[in-house]
Amino acid sequence: MFAYIVRRLLFIPFVFIGVTVMIVLLMQLLSPAQRAAAFVSSDAQLKNLDAIIEQYGLDEPFHVQYASWVGEALQGNLGFSTASSEPVATTIRKRLPASAELALVSLIPVIGLGIWLGTLAALNRDRAIDQITRVGAIVGWSLPNFVLGIWLLVLFYGGLGDVLRDFAGGAFRLEPGRVSTEVAIQIANGTFPIRTNFLLIDSLLAGRPDVFWDALRHLILPVITLAATSSALIMRVMRSSLLETLSQDYVRTARAKGLRDQIVHFKHARRNALIPVITLAGFTLIFLLNGVVITETVFNYPGLGRWFASAAVALDYPAIMGFTVLTAFIVVVGNLLVDVLYAIVDPRIRYG
Amino acid sequence: MRKAFTGLALAAALLFGGASAQNTFVYQTFGGIDTLDPAQAYDTASSVAIENIYETLYDYVGESVTEFQGSLATDWSANDAGDEYTFTLREGVTFHSGNEFTCADVEYTVERMLVHNPSDGGVWFLAESFLGTQANADSFLGDDATDADYADYFARIQNAAECIDDTTIQFTLDAPDPTFFVKMMSDVARIVDRDYAIDNGLWDGTEATWRDWIGVNLREYHLHDNASGTGAYELVDWDGEQLVAQRYDGYWGDTPAVQDVVVQTVDEQSTRLLAIQAGDASRVQVGDRATLEQLRGAEGVTIHEDPNWLSTTVGMVFFNSDINTDNNPDVGSGQLDGDGIPANFFDDANMRKCFAYNFDQQAFIDQVLQGQGQALTMGLPPSFLGYRDDLPVYDVDYAAAEEACQAAHGGAVWENGFEFTATYNAGNTTRQAALNIIKDNIEFMNPGFRMNVRELAWPDYLAYTDEGKGTMFALGWAPSYADSDYFLHPFYHSEGFYAGRTGIDNPELDALIDAARETVDADEREDLYEQVGQIAYDEMPMLPYPSPNEFIVTRDNVQGVYLNPMYGGQFLWKDIVLD
Repeated sequence: MFAYIVRRLLFIPFVFIGVTVMIVLLMQLLSPAQRAAAFVSSDAQLKNLDAIIEQYGLDEPFHVQYASWVGEALQGNLGFSTASSEPVATTIRKRLPASAELALVSLIPVIGLGIWLGTLAALNRDRAIDQITRVGAIVGWSLPNFVLGIWLLVLFYGGLGDVLRDFAGGAFRLEPGRVSTEVAIQIANGTFPIRTNFLLIDSLLAGRPDVFWDALRHLILPVITLAATSSALIMRVMRSSLLETLSQDYVRTARAKGLRDQIVHFKHARRNALIPVITLAGFTLIFLLNGVVITETVFNYPGLGRWFASAAVALDYPAIMGFTVLTAFIVVVGNLLVDVLYAIVDPRIRYG
Repeated sequence: MRKAFTGLALAAALLFGGASAQNTFVYQTFGGIDTLDPAQAYDTASSVAIENIYETLYDYVGESVTEFQGSLATDWSANDAGDEYTFTLREGVTFHSGNEFTCADVEYTVERMLVHNPSDGGVWFLAESFLGTQANADSFLGDDATDADYADYFARIQNAAECIDDTTIQFTLDAPDPTFFVKMMSDVARIVDRDYAIDNGLWDGTEATWRDWIGVNLREYHLHDNASGTGAYELVDWDGEQLVAQRYDGYWGDTPAVQDVVVQTVDEQSTRLLAIQAGDASRVQVGDRATLEQLRGAEGVTIHEDPNWLSTTVGMVFFNSDINTDNNPDVGSGQLDGDGIPANFFDDANMRKCFAYNFDQQAFIDQVLQGQGQALTMGLPPSFLGYRDDLPVYDVDYAAAEEACQAAHGGAVWENGFEFTATYNAGNTTRQAALNIIKDNIEFMNPGFRMNVRELAWPDYLAYTDEGKGTMFALGWAPSYADSDYFLHPFYHSEGFYAGRTGIDNPELDALIDAARETVDADEREDLYEQVGQIAYDEMPMLPYPSPNEFIVTRDNVQGVYLNPMYGGQFLWKDIVLD
């Protein structure tokens, strides 16, 4: 197992080289003037297009641009992102915790809801509750994030906004953003210290339950949006896995021994049925960690996804490179962790 | 049960309810701030912050773009030749850092901008005034420049701004420039804190190091996300996403009423609309009038409108008289054979007029601007010197259009027909609508006329027009300083910004625009610009489409709102009050 892990880790630099070369090659398909778009935000700036191309070396050949990027990256400089108006490394350092916080908090209802509904559907196969759950899953999976997100905002931030604002001093308001304006000012002027950029953790470290709740209530609507869509897949996998497990011989044996249904279902069958769900949950986390573009945009949540979306539209080359490297890292390490977890959960699986 | 619920709510309020921001102005906008460094910034979003943190020597009075008042200067004069300007500086002013404002700061600000002059910044028009070139030293001197060339260039930079004494600064220009005074009210001329900048690693102001700073990307240095200005608001923090500023207690002028200002980038429009209705935003940016109607009548929301608030951005449909037909799919066959157009298709004034007479101005105002706009007679905002409101506008007129079309290219166009594709940048529905109105009318006029309209992503559009491949295309021009030259030279001069994209080359227009640059006499300049307007009408080199009336959306409690088109945020934060 150890050798397997080391081999997989040694694989990472090659993945980095592969994806970065691919990005640089793709960028070469664009003309220097097209690549200059990242530096031109108004018509008036068109005036100096040639000078911009020269200043930022946008007409340099492929190998020069790539060597320059690698040289800087090895020194820890991933370049400057015009989309976020700050160095790429700084953006990642600030936004990764925001996306991770959203991802980790979302994962709880995504998995919990998926497993619960999947179990419910499997144990009530072909009954009304199964049909309702399955249709619900299809609807959840099909519903675009931005539609559900805007609905939730219109309902809770718009329609019920006044009610929630007047109740309990606005402690239960559901708003877009990561924190309220009041907390944002405290963060800006240093009254509330940022240590990890995970606001839920920072607020606990600072002994500030008000900030903890402020950050948590800002997560509620995006988490519901993500849970409604992402848990549908887990629910379907859980259902089919449990149905398959329930038809296994050892389950029949357990029943023959006279064990109660509850013990058979939850102790014997569901544990084994969880194995594919764990794999899927791992991939879901990887997906969420990369930032969920639409959800972050609708809820104005300052995560990686929103940054990358604006960077891609603006052809913000350093940001695209930095984000790609980060994604490659998360995917490779995430897959590795899933494999390891898989082996731990199911002792029959060994990696040679 | 009810008591328990009330108790729970009370406990929650005490434990979790935060203090509300009573005296905070929250502005939600789209398009993030690019940079806070005045020598690098060249976008509206950055202006919103910079114009409140830093100050210029003189500033506009309220909504006027022609009346000025002293800001960091109390008096000014120019020599008769118009190439030497002297300003008396205000005393008793301090920067947010605590440093005292002196003449050295003004001198440093000017020299610094001329040294850096980044290619994507807005220094170029002041560099032209001071040094006679829009380029920075490296671009101007070229690869073969010697150390002596650089030394000479730096000497000219040093000569541009000289402190006569502690409170008097003298600017020496390369040539007379009647626009210089208003250019000094642009963001790039906002005065930076010399000592603060040098202490934090920026150019040290010496000849020994200046060449290291030519054209550098200032976004990678301290003043990009830090600031020490003299403005009414000092920067608390800007994290790339959200900017927080607070009232500067040491401000030399009247104490502003609003304590804190937060500028938030919220790209999703529906989220901004909900925020203003919920009261979480004091002001929101609304993209278009159709969306604005959703807010009309909303409780607690005020839509500020005024018939005088005409946009100073001039939108234009350009005709390219010298189309680059090389690998250009938009010209079809490249011949006047009914399946394409040749490179000189729009070189014939009759051809341009044929299209101009097919543009329905009122339909554009009604359908695109929701009835809130004004047709333009020339490529100049009506509030600017020399605008001809006595000239007719090219409006839909089928008889005149047919006459022009039949005369174009010796009748070959009318006989053979044509097909070409006009372009606009993706997402700009206003430009798209302008082109589509022409398309609908001109195709109706003659079955042989086929005009396609396609969008291009912004990067592609950039490259495409830069290569001269645009046939007929729509773009806009917004002023960096309030002078007519800023519009007329780029639009109509053969060496202007758009010349490479449109092939415009009219010696008469060149002579008039050049002459207006050489005199400081306002009446004379007005006369020259009016003549430009006449030729622009007669020759119809490009078609301005109607300008919209601007609007501002705030909460009811925001008082003191006005609109000065030269401010990125339309008004300064120090002038508003929250009831």
